[in-house]
Amino acid sequence: MAILSLQNVSKEYVTDGQSVKALSNISLEVSGGEFVALVGRSGCGKSTLLNLAGAMDFPTSGKVELEGECTKDLDDAGLTRLRRNKVGFIFQSFQLLHTLKVSENVELPLLLAGRSDGESIVRNRLAALELSGLEDRYAHQLSGGQMQRVAIARALVNSPKILLADEPTGNLDTATGNIILQLLRKLTTETQTATIMATHSVEAAAIADAVVRLRDGKIEEIIRH
Amino acid sequence: MRSKLSFIGAFFLAVSPACPQDDPRTDGAQFRIAQPGYRYEFPRDHFDHPDFQTEWWYYTGNLKSADGHRYGFELTFFRQGVHRDSLEKKSIAKKYDFEKLAWAVDNLYLAHLALSDLDGKTFYHSERTNRAGPGLAGVSKVAQRVWNGNWQVHWNADSQELQAYDSRFALRLNFNSRKPPVIHGENGISQKSEGAGHASHYISLTRLETRGIIELDGKKNAVSGLSWMDHEFFTQQLAPDQAGWDWVSLQLDDNTELMLYRFRRKDRSADPYSSGTYIDAAGKSFHLRSTDFVLQPQPETWTSPETRATYPIHWKISIARLGINLEATAALAQQEITSKSGWSPNYWEGAIKLYGQRGDRPLTGAGYLEMTGYQSPLRLGQ
Amino acid sequence: MRWFAYATEKSKKLSDIEMPRLILFYRLLIRPLVREPVRSALTLLAVALGVAVILAIDLAGNAATGSFRSSVEALAGDSDLEVIAGGGIPETTVASLAQLPYELRVSPRVEDFAVRADSKQTLPLIGVDLIAEGERYLQKINSGTPESSKPAQSDAEQFTDPASIWIGASLKRNPGDRLRLIINDQEREYTVRGVYPDSNGIESAILMDIAGAQNALQRFGRVDRILIHVPHDRELDQWQKIIGDALPTGAEVRPQGTGTVENRRMLAAFRWNLQLLSYIALVVGGFLIYNTISVSVVRRRPEIGIVRALGASRNSVLLAFIGEAAFFGAGGAILGLPFGRIMAAGAVKLMGATVDALYVSSTPGAVELTWTCVELAFAVGLSVAIASAYSPASEAAAVSPVEAMARGRREFGARMHKWRDLIFALVLGVAAAIASRAPAIGNKPMLGYLAAILLVAAAAFAIPALVDAVASGGSRLFGKILGVEGLLASRSLAASLRRTSVLVASLATAIAMMTAVGIMVGSFRETVVTWMNGKLPADLYIRPAGSPGTDRHPILSLDLADKISQLRGVATVDRLRAYEISYDGLPVTLASIDIRGRGSPSGSTFFSGRREGEVFSELRREDAVVVSEPFTSKHHVKTGDFITLSLGRARPRFHIADVYYDYSSERGNILMDREILLKYLPDPAPSNLAIFVAPGVDPETVRQEILHATSKYRILIFSDREIRGQAIRIFDRTFAITYALEAVAVMVAVMGIAGALLALVIDRRRELGLLRFLGASTAQIRKLILVEAGLLGLLANIAGFVLGTLLSLILVFVINKQSFGWTIRFHWPVAVLLGALSVVYAATVLAGLYPAQVAVRLNPIEVVVEE
Repeated sequence: MAILSLQNVSKEYVTDGQSVKALSNISLEVSGGEFVALVGRSGCGKSTLLNLAGAMDFPTSGKVELEGECTKDLDDAGLTRLRRNKVGFIFQSFQLLHTLKVSENVELPLLLAGRSDGESIVRNRLAALELSGLEDRYAHQLSGGQMQRVAIARALVNSPKILLADEPTGNLDTATGNIILQLLRKLTTETQTATIMATHSVEAAAIADAVVRLRDGKIEEIIRH
Repeated sequence: MRSKLSFIGAFFLAVSPACPQDDPRTDGAQFRIAQPGYRYEFPRDHFDHPDFQTEWWYYTGNLKSADGHRYGFELTFFRQGVHRDSLEKKSIAKKYDFEKLAWAVDNLYLAHLALSDLDGKTFYHSERTNRAGPGLAGVSKVAQRVWNGNWQVHWNADSQELQAYDSRFALRLNFNSRKPPVIHGENGISQKSEGAGHASHYISLTRLETRGIIELDGKKNAVSGLSWMDHEFFTQQLAPDQAGWDWVSLQLDDNTELMLYRFRRKDRSADPYSSGTYIDAAGKSFHLRSTDFVLQPQPETWTSPETRATYPIHWKISIARLGINLEATAALAQQEITSKSGWSPNYWEGAIKLYGQRGDRPLTGAGYLEMTGYQSPLRLGQ
Repeated sequence: MRWFAYATEKSKKLSDIEMPRLILFYRLLIRPLVREPVRSALTLLAVALGVAVILAIDLAGNAATGSFRSSVEALAGDSDLEVIAGGGIPETTVASLAQLPYELRVSPRVEDFAVRADSKQTLPLIGVDLIAEGERYLQKINSGTPESSKPAQSDAEQFTDPASIWIGASLKRNPGDRLRLIINDQEREYTVRGVYPDSNGIESAILMDIAGAQNALQRFGRVDRILIHVPHDRELDQWQKIIGDALPTGAEVRPQGTGTVENRRMLAAFRWNLQLLSYIALVVGGFLIYNTISVSVVRRRPEIGIVRALGASRNSVLLAFIGEAAFFGAGGAILGLPFGRIMAAGAVKLMGATVDALYVSSTPGAVELTWTCVELAFAVGLSVAIASAYSPASEAAAVSPVEAMARGRREFGARMHKWRDLIFALVLGVAAAIASRAPAIGNKPMLGYLAAILLVAAAAFAIPALVDAVASGGSRLFGKILGVEGLLASRSLAASLRRTSVLVASLATAIAMMTAVGIMVGSFRETVVTWMNGKLPADLYIRPAGSPGTDRHPILSLDLADKISQLRGVATVDRLRAYEISYDGLPVTLASIDIRGRGSPSGSTFFSGRREGEVFSELRREDAVVVSEPFTSKHHVKTGDFITLSLGRARPRFHIADVYYDYSSERGNILMDREILLKYLPDPAPSNLAIFVAPGVDPETVRQEILHATSKYRILIFSDREIRGQAIRIFDRTFAITYALEAVAVMVAVMGIAGALLALVIDRRRELGLLRFLGASTAQIRKLILVEAGLLGLLANIAGFVLGTLLSLILVFVINKQSFGWTIRFHWPVAVLLGALSVVYAATVLAGLYPAQVAVRLNPIEVVVEE
């Protein structure tokens, strides 16, 4: 069964009094261990789709279901719970908190979810991402690749069912980017998460199980590898 | 007689729940009235008589500086007894601690000071009112003085020393009397209207040889000339139908003097109580009845810009018995004394020049003229 | 980035003409302020409040200390000189002055107070010579035709009636009305004879003839003042000499209004201290401007870089930010003016109460907003704004174009040198300690205040270290206690160290002032309570119902003491008589007592530690006096010195036998034996009676007996307990104004916290949004902001409490001692402090509510925009 399911999803924004259709009539299902790449030009709706998938926002019409839970049926607290338990986010500019140490950054989602048993989980995640020994560093003391790996560790710390990555290699050089992509690919398989990655990069798209091409808020084509 | 203060006296009688005026027994019950047979004694009678309600000392004179500049002056001290009615005194005493209270008002002391700069054609005058208080004003036989603030006359045997200070001028004068005191009227009283007690004891020093200094606008002028002193004390003397009066003191160059007054009745009829005194060169005085003299205003008048009152400033005086015919003219038209305080009415009192004849010999002199009741019918204690 | 487009389009013109610079200023600086209206408004309001408080205290000070001149004095026109003497001038002096050969206007005055029996309103009572000067008053009283202004027959009657009074129109009575007045211990009915206009602000005095006034007051043989108008042909000091030569030895002549000058001089320290206290709120406001401008600079760093790259000079950047501060300063001043005017109305009441209780009877005048006030408002508003903005503005000017445009720069406050600052703080603290040991300069505790300022500065420098230690060091602990929000909050505060420090410093300053003044007042109160316990040995105290005051001494009827001492159950009656005199250019209370009752039960109230009996027997033996502690500090005398007093006809010299503690008044007191004072001022009427009840008798029974026996007198009887209670009530009322000032300072600080948190929320919106992505609920976001507010409050409370305690030492032992001369024992008013600190803490947390709401409403998707 699909972990993430979008059925006829549309999203409209109202900006300066004008309605802008960000997504229209998108249907998509992603199963555990599946790695989907979202490609398309800037503004084609990639980020909007990620936000809907991550229970950050509601669709204007259609249904978004995470493991069968429909976001539309939930209130803000419900969405928060959903995010805490099922979603991990990875961002282009890493979005680490500069005031926190590496380990604290990774532990943050657990703490927000009210879990205080996170220490071993954090250690495991950091080790899994070859970040052992960097626990007490601050973000600004890391390289770009390290930062993104910390961000990935953070995204995975609550064992999410869905991993959402928005241009995770956008701020990295090609070599580092590739390493991160390989890592994501590997982790998706290992943790059986449904992973969606928005990207510009052809190389990135190449490692995905499926490539969804968006254009003006619509799915132009889906290429399955 | 002099005086506006009669009017003040009148209204203080109104203040004290005074008595019907025509009833001599209750008239100013606690005050003595002027009655015939009073025994005069000097210098005692130069000082105060607190048994009588009203008393005043008048000094007027015509003076000349060495360079011939002419001045007239007037300094008057009034004493007006209040609260002498027994009932009222009792009721006030209940509220007041008279023994300890120097400021309690037994008498009102008023004073007027005027200087006529005759050649400078300027008239200066001021007034003050005080209670005796802790010594602000008074009359003291012990200290031989009559004073109101820093206006005072100090007796020294027969001579007197006058000092008075104003913001613009100061007087420091010495008087030596050339004649004994004159007692006006008959039997020691000067009758002012019908009825017993409607009279005063009236004493004058008619020829005071004067030397001293008049300080005006910071300049000291040595002056000399003749002055006149009146001293009168009484309790309630006027009748309600008397509207005003005119009074003159004349110092003639033949070493004689005249004092004349006439009442003006409200109905303009002649008042039989007008009278006068003639003092001969030897100092002997002769009483003049209203029928003995004529004191007649001439058409020449002066209207005060301040009070709108019109005063006659040219008079004809004749005494047939003495063969005296005189013209009296104001030495300065503006010699009106107005009261800022309102304690006394406005009146005209000033230096006059005299010329005329006694028989066929020319006669000149100087004097003072007082005119009251010209502004409006004076208010009398009703 | 709209302005960027603008800047690139118009860049060519920028350097050419002025106008674009203005537009630039508007777009770059004013528009952002408009975009954050709440925060800008908070800063503006904080400055406005600061300015308003200063204005209010200034205005109220003028009004509350302004009207020692009575309305009737104003009516009578100006005199040039006045003659005074301790205990009054022998009235014969009036006559001797009146007879001097100069054209002087000599106006004797009897001056005291009367109480309206109906409303219990206290009014000045003035006796003048209405016979001599009546017309000068009546012309003012009867504003009609000149004719009607002259005394009429009836006036003469009125003048001589001792029950006649003339009153101000504000009393709303008509001629012929009756008014019952309590004067000393007598209540009588008086008849209103005339009404004079008393415009708003000029007190309405009761005018009487001097005889009536003397009679009502039972004050015979003496007048209180003689006013003299002199001609202007001589210099005033020549006249002073001429008149002085005519006076008895004990009297002195001085320019008229010297009394007011003396009163003002006496009040100077009080006003000065209050004014300084009023500046605290503005200092707090200054911190906030500093913070606001700093935030502006940090936020607009890239923009500054671009503008610099486009050709703006360092100076124009500096000026731009100074201009922004000036905008707050000027805006605050404009807003502060009406605020100040409103606050002044309240402050006048509070200050008036203090002045009345501690110094001198006065009726607050009108609060007048003059141009000077407007200038003051702008001067303080602008100067504080510009001074506070200078440092961040010059930092802005120092921004290099390249650096500013480079991305990824670190947060605000990266360049904090907390260790260097800590050393600074230490140096300043040592300097403060040294300054606090220095003596007063010109009777003002200048160096004491310097010490206080140095301490505040030291605290400002030490606060970053404290914030860092607590916020970083304690973050894990906070995390444990408060959850992840605690961790995040403390880390975030520690990260923006400079911003946090400024906020903490501003709130801490306000809290410190509150703590310091709280401790000072608390210590003072405790001292007074202890002192009073030893000071009131008698069982009952009697005073006239006529208005008493620190400078008003109504007297009791002469026979009262004897009457009471014959009552059953009364053991002893002590008599006290007080006079107002002038000593060495300052008003002083001179009192005489006969000590017959038992002395103080506990301890000594004398410096020497001797028993009362011992000291007073010394007073009886010789011409010796004891003086109060404030007297010694005001006049720089000590035990063993000699003082010369002008008493009526004489100028006797007295030996100071001892000094006693006195907290009843800030004015100096001189105390001597009754018999000795009677030699000079032979008025035997007492002002107060102290009654000792026979052993085993209930004071309440005696009180009833006294009330019964004295029914025809208007007197007030107090037990020692009641007097204590009353004194404490007066004490508390007296210090109400200081609490009000502190409250405003705290309010300003709390507003600052709200504004700053708002800025923090906006600056950290991406982080807050991210937290939502990472699973934070809105409740957690709200809690995070509130925890930050709470942490700020906690830090400020810690710093403020420590600083406040240190400041209170300076206040109690340096500033108070040097300004007022009181010995105060240090005391912690624990309950008051705890209460106040809790309130401030709660207010701080509440200040976080709105910013928290803003944080909650942020759309995480929008704020975590990926570029």
